[in-house]
Amino acid sequence: MAKLDNKKFMVCCANGAGSSLMMKMTLQKVLTKYGIKPGALHHCSLSEGKSAAPGYDIVLCARNFAKMFDDAAKKGTTVIGLKNIMSAPEMEQAMKDAGLLD
Amino acid sequence: MAESILQKIVRRGHYKFVDRVDSWQEAVRLSTESLVETGYVSENYYQQIVDCITKYGPYVVFEHYVAMPHSQEGAEGAHKTAVGFLRVKEDVDFGKDEDGEDKIARLFFTLAAANPDEHLDNINQLMNIFCNEELLDALMAAETPEDILQAEKDFPPEDILAD
Repeated sequence: MAKLDNKKFMVCCANGAGSSLMMKMTLQKVLTKYGIKPGALHHCSLSEGKSAAPGYDIVLCARNFAKMFDDAAKKGTTVIGLKNIMSAPEMEQAMKDAGLLD
Repeated sequence: MAESILQKIVRRGHYKFVDRVDSWQEAVRLSTESLVETGYVSENYYQQIVDCITKYGPYVVFEHYVAMPHSQEGAEGAHKTAVGFLRVKEDVDFGKDEDGEDKIARLFFTLAAANPDEHLDNINQLMNIFCNEELLDALMAAETPEDILQAEKDFPPEDILAD
């Protein structure tokens, strides 16, 4: 079983309506490639995400928003900030760097 | 084949071509003008987008001169789901990002989201367009709606999420 199976993912952007949806699609592509079945895959706005983040294992967002999740990171959530939210290779590499993928 | 988002933009008249603008705020307003005229969004919708970019920074500006201004899903003032296209010939400066890199756009795809399914399909299609640099170059050179359709024919967007 892949180690990310059943992990809870959250993708966040300012509004939860534009770039977070793009990030979610990119993430789905990466997860499918590795045969990972996430426990949850939620997209939302920063305001919702900030309070909900500690309840997720992994949070992905645009890089400029990553510092907003410092509290969740301290509680054990892995926070990944991306420069190009549409790039599956960048996301894959960032997840590897965070030790999430082999 | 289902109508593409670029075909929809042309059919609905949701496009505008200008040479230059005074500010990114003006560009955002112009990108919603055709949406206002056709009743897709209210007149003050663009102000919500401007407020959001002011608050959170130019994160809606992607690579290769593309911006995707938007407000929330089901936002007040977004009556129907659509994309408003604007091409500006000169650079529109959104300032710098957190790395000090200039955020510049010439193509605007402004979102109005009322129907989640249709919106998701629009986002999916836009992603494929944004990852197609030849198509973006052709759209930046476009002067007419016919040019938009020709650009899509010449450089059809591929499904980047397909394996």
